[in-house]
Amino acid sequence: MNENHTLEHLMKKADVRSYDCYQCGKCSGGCPMAEGMDLGPRGIMRSAQIGALDSILNSSTIWLCSGCYACVDRCPHDVNVPAFIEEARYEAMRRGIVRRDSEVLNRTFLANIRAFGRSHEMLLAAFYNIFALKPTQDLTSLPHMISKKLIPIKPDPIRGVGDVQAIIARAERLDKLVKEVRE
Amino acid sequence: MLRYAYFPGCASESTAKSTTLANEFVFGAVGIDLVEIEDWCCCGATSAHTLSETVGLALPARALSRAERDHPDLDVVTGCASCYARLKLANYKVRTDKDAAWLVEKALGRPYTAKNEVLNFLDILSLDEVKASIETAILRKFKDLKVACYYGCLNIRPAEVTGAKDRENPMAMDEIAVLTGAVPVDWGFKTECCGAAHQNDAARQTRPLTARILENAMAAGADVILTACPMCQLNLEMRQTEYARKREEKKTGKKVFPLLDMVIKPEPQETIPVLSLTELLAIAMGAGGRRLSLDVHHVPVGGVIAQGLSGMNEKEVREAFI
Repeated sequence: MNENHTLEHLMKKADVRSYDCYQCGKCSGGCPMAEGMDLGPRGIMRSAQIGALDSILNSSTIWLCSGCYACVDRCPHDVNVPAFIEEARYEAMRRGIVRRDSEVLNRTFLANIRAFGRSHEMLLAAFYNIFALKPTQDLTSLPHMISKKLIPIKPDPIRGVGDVQAIIARAERLDKLVKEVRE
Repeated sequence: MLRYAYFPGCASESTAKSTTLANEFVFGAVGIDLVEIEDWCCCGATSAHTLSETVGLALPARALSRAERDHPDLDVVTGCASCYARLKLANYKVRTDKDAAWLVEKALGRPYTAKNEVLNFLDILSLDEVKASIETAILRKFKDLKVACYYGCLNIRPAEVTGAKDRENPMAMDEIAVLTGAVPVDWGFKTECCGAAHQNDAARQTRPLTARILENAMAAGADVILTACPMCQLNLEMRQTEYARKREEKKTGKKVFPLLDMVIKPEPQETIPVLSLTELLAIAMGAGGRRLSLDVHHVPVGGVIAQGLSGMNEKEVREAFI
């Protein structure tokens, strides 16, 4: 598939039409994350309009979107930017484009679910801080968390942890299958 | 008697200790039976659907399908906005998108028909009959306690999934808070995202989101922020020392070593206590601070509650608040 086809496909999957956007900027104006982003939601839609898939996939915006849906809620044309951003993120990952910190967090999170069936917040934060090389992030809350027994020290897996692992494995295989069918 | 299948969410086992105790207290007092979904698993939160669409739908669907199997007549309810968003989306996708429904069923290896609803606590507490029971169960009322009701983004949006009527200025929580005698303030950040999803992996970009919400609530004259989600709750209160320090640094131009946050605490007027809606209700219904473990809050809440319940004597205050 060439780049334009891929872009069309991503938009179709997200049910977004780039020509619906008339660049009014309500999305970026209301986006809570906009000041930390490079393109912002409006920039994402502009890039889609001019066919600049590359700049979308390499932007920080697709990784920083917090999925709060404020943009689509306020959009006069109901352009579902978060859905399009999600599709763009999957495409970026298929091409091996990742934002390191996000990748570390998400992989650690999923490893947690695989191991225990539930998320263990202290292990998540600890492993994230180690692998993302941010040893002191949120460290100042740790004494409070421990002294008030807010985080269980010993993680307890749920009984169906094998079931959860099998579901994740099957879901990942299905994702690959869907991708192959499309191509 | 109202009965629901209950999805507690991972936070209920750790950081949301006091909120979980308050939930049990309040739902017991108003006579709502919450039946915990047997052996529920994590909904995957932000990370699962970021990595893979199907994993992001299959994890919440596992809990939902178990609820459907064990309690075919019960709707599912959860007290966490993040869990709610994922459960509700899985439910919505299975109902509306045939491809997604097929993928979910294949991944689960068992059927899930999505015939029952997914609700959050606000939906239930807003029912007229429940409000009437709340009014009867309330034993003591707050006086002049100004509260800023913070709904969180995912309890409300995306609107086509949640069915929320008013996304900019919802009133459901304000109307419940009023029953306790609290006075809700008018403020601008009711449904603004607090950035909880990226506080780990994009700390620099998300910290200002939370700081802005806190500052807006304080500027609106609120004594306390009320939340309807343990993620919002933790995110709004755990880094208040950091935000106060940053404001101070901006004012004086002097940098302070960040790890000193552990020992140097800000002035009380520089922070704002955060309570969950059910904690406020439980206190009004007579639960004491020890019973609710209110001492687990990062920003102490005893002072503001004592001030709100000014009719109490010193011993009662001590018993009631930690």
